[in-house]
Amino acid sequence: MTWLILGPEIYFLAVAVIFLILSMTRPDRKRNFSTALFLAGLGVVVTLAAIRLEGSLVHGAYRVNLFSQVFKALLSIGFFLVVSLCSTLNGIKETRHSEFYLLLATCTLGMMLLVSSLELLTVYVALELASYSLYVLVLLRSGGQQMEAGIKYFLSGIATSALMLFGMACLFGATQTTYISELTLKLPGLLNTPMAFIGLLLTLSGFFFKLALFPFHVWAPGVYQGAANQVTAFVATATKVTAMAMLVRLVSMGDGNTSLAHVLVALAILSMTYGNLVALIQKDFKRLLAYSAIAHAGYVLIAILSMNPTGYAAAVFYAMAYLAMSFTCFLVVVKVASDGRDLAIAQLAGLHRRSPLLAMALLVGVFSLGGIPPTIGFTGKFLIFNAAMQNGYFLLVLIAMINVVVSLYYYVQVVRAAFLLEPEEELPAIHLSAPAIILTAVMVVVIVVGGLFPRYLFQLAQAAVQALQ
Amino acid sequence: MELAGFPYLSAILLSCVVGLLVILFVPRERETLVKWVSLAFSGIALALSIYVYCSYDKSQGGLQFVEKLLWVEPLGIHYFNGADGFNLPLILLTGIVHFTGVLTMWELRGRVKEFFAFAFVLVLGVFGFFMSMDLFFLFIWFDVSLFPMYPLIAIWGTTRKEYGALKLFLHVLAGSALVLPGIIYLAVASGLQTFDIPALMQPGVLAPGQQRFAFILFYLGFGILAGVWPFHTWSPVGHVAAPTSVSMIHAGVLMKVGAFGILRVAIFLCPIGWEYWSPVMAVLATIGILYGVFVGLTQTDLKYVVAFSSVSHMGIVGLGLSTVTAEGLNGAVFQMFAHGIMTALLFSSLGYIYDKTHTKLMPDLGGMSKVMPVASGYFIVAALAGMGVPGFASFWAEVTVFISALKVYPALGVLAICALVLSALYMLRVVQRTFYGQRNENYAHLPDVSFGLGLPRMILVAVMVLFGLFPGLMLDLIQTAVVPFMGGLSK
Repeated sequence: MTWLILGPEIYFLAVAVIFLILSMTRPDRKRNFSTALFLAGLGVVVTLAAIRLEGSLVHGAYRVNLFSQVFKALLSIGFFLVVSLCSTLNGIKETRHSEFYLLLATCTLGMMLLVSSLELLTVYVALELASYSLYVLVLLRSGGQQMEAGIKYFLSGIATSALMLFGMACLFGATQTTYISELTLKLPGLLNTPMAFIGLLLTLSGFFFKLALFPFHVWAPGVYQGAANQVTAFVATATKVTAMAMLVRLVSMGDGNTSLAHVLVALAILSMTYGNLVALIQKDFKRLLAYSAIAHAGYVLIAILSMNPTGYAAAVFYAMAYLAMSFTCFLVVVKVASDGRDLAIAQLAGLHRRSPLLAMALLVGVFSLGGIPPTIGFTGKFLIFNAAMQNGYFLLVLIAMINVVVSLYYYVQVVRAAFLLEPEEELPAIHLSAPAIILTAVMVVVIVVGGLFPRYLFQLAQAAVQALQ
Repeated sequence: MELAGFPYLSAILLSCVVGLLVILFVPRERETLVKWVSLAFSGIALALSIYVYCSYDKSQGGLQFVEKLLWVEPLGIHYFNGADGFNLPLILLTGIVHFTGVLTMWELRGRVKEFFAFAFVLVLGVFGFFMSMDLFFLFIWFDVSLFPMYPLIAIWGTTRKEYGALKLFLHVLAGSALVLPGIIYLAVASGLQTFDIPALMQPGVLAPGQQRFAFILFYLGFGILAGVWPFHTWSPVGHVAAPTSVSMIHAGVLMKVGAFGILRVAIFLCPIGWEYWSPVMAVLATIGILYGVFVGLTQTDLKYVVAFSSVSHMGIVGLGLSTVTAEGLNGAVFQMFAHGIMTALLFSSLGYIYDKTHTKLMPDLGGMSKVMPVASGYFIVAALAGMGVPGFASFWAEVTVFISALKVYPALGVLAICALVLSALYMLRVVQRTFYGQRNENYAHLPDVSFGLGLPRMILVAVMVLFGLFPGLMLDLIQTAVVPFMGGLSK
């Protein structure tokens, strides 16, 4: 019965199979959507039910514990949220809708396998399963620039994969093992050798790529803009969460190594500064969110490079926070650009009259990304800075705070468009269905309440990190 | 969890939250209902703050009305509110200014619901900031009170509103970017991993070097909001752009948030840094006093004049804080209160004139006292208070500050007193040009202020005179906090 601990994975495999079968039948938009929504909702229940499971398979290469289960729950919540946006899946041709759900499910499955993997080759295989699904998902959009974005994403993605494989080879060469549990014991002593050090860095780079950390960010703006809005929402939430989880897991192998920390400090500063400065001049909302994601990759890295339990817990907390606030922004994108087009910031004009609720959700989501209390984004940043300060990174925190202020400029431009600007021609009010209203309100409440009552989420994050050791 | 009786302080916060929620559920067409709801809940908050102010036991002193609740255990965060002689005057001030602000905006048209909703968020943050004794919550309330300023000014403001709003927003948030690392630094450097202010205040918790370092962060961070020269540039632009009641809250209360932050965080937690940096504070404050007066002398826009007088008066608060004496602190806190009421009255009476004439340029006005004698009267009274005429609260505050400044920094004190004389000149110049002299016939038909609209101004005048005639009502209260604090320092 040990296979029962694979409950969530088996479930999502089944979801993928169901959509594989559906893709062979006549396309039916409504049926696909309601099936997907039902299965995704059930998926959340399954992962939440499995959250207390523990165990390991295949000689410790695959481990189920609170850390992995928390992230699986986050992933299935992300999957559910993205699917719930698909009632207006207008960016993708109707004949391809079941393939879209199929790939979304396999991608989620890949990432679930990833957060449980404790062996480098398993990590690689799981990552590729998720990545290849994403490459195709980006290309699914009809008309426009998705080709360029997709090819760019694919080429830079496989290049990074090659780098990562090379890094894993180096790690194996230095330590004669691919098991993370053994690497954790051997690496700290070996990290002053170039081979192990470069090996670890290159292995990390695979996830830097997913997180769109500078200088692995080149794909992000194009993909964010070029992919269908729902796909971008998935890229911006679920994959980021996974990347954060894996970085916590891999960096904790090299615990306490100062030169590793220095490299990460440099990357964090570059990523924050670059992301925020370039975001200042963006006109397209999704592109702006891409640069904001590059900046956020830097913030998260601060938590991870603190290399103490508080820091890892802060990163896990930030993953939860980021899922909520990033999704809220994309919720607004999808609802405002309901015909599946790209959304320029100027097109948000008059949103406060067209839909006060969406405008409020945008305000809360954007200010949460900007780190203004009382939102979950602020509390996440607070935890990150607290962890960094415990290791004496005062200057780093100050630089990060300056970055936060710079970023507020462009976040305010978004709010300004929604609340102050009037559209050139009168646009009709946006009518939200009752479930959409509930979803939006729930997201707003989650962001605010999560910011004011971080206690239980933070304790969960701490417990998850304890399971890591 | 610690609770001393009924949680009055949380009830004040709750009245703002409930007011906000009720407003959100009122249909947006029913503008009058929104105003009545705002008035009711701001009235409740005012009543509660008066009750707390009056029932504080002066003979016992210390922190009273304490509400302490463990919030996030591993990080040492508490929900911790308390009232003492320092924050009670400011809580009362916030209650008065918000209540009169709602009355002042009674004639607002357009997006009424959103306006009052944002105003409640703003005031919620200010109340929370004043009463919080935990650094984490202090910072949350600090930012909560700042971000509504942007929409409030950018949507309902006037002159160069978007520029003013953005400038203000980015300046004050840059200040908070210094405060947050400072707060975390203190919590970590103390080795206690707690954000509890009384715990961090214990002597010996923070090394002198740490205090000197952290003090700069807090002084600059909060100083931007307090309008300390040379970080004041956002404030005149922001004041001028803001709609009347927002100017009132902003100049009357929000700048005090900055000054109170310097007091509660910088001075309380880093007293050694305070003594070390106090000469610098004194110089900056004196420059601010002089600068505000001189620039104010050349302005023709009435709101700019008032805004620069705020810079000058906040300089007096800064000067009081920089003396490191009991009288100085006493005067500074009293000046925060007195200036808050006075500026609120200035902006409030100006707001009425602007609403009717649609201009706030001195050359366009003139002879207003013949057109609207009562409305002009309010402004003139406030201007007199601004000059420090005896009989008003600000007189006592300024006298206390100047006496202690003369003892500690004789040269700077003399300069500041000279500036006070000049400030009389510039206030009189405004009064003479605007309210006396040739009447502008274009405005001759305008009605004078009605009783209902005059009500907020009457309340403000009454408060100013009350504390002007009986300064002991407030000074005795502030004394209960200042004496033990300064006594603790000298040990």
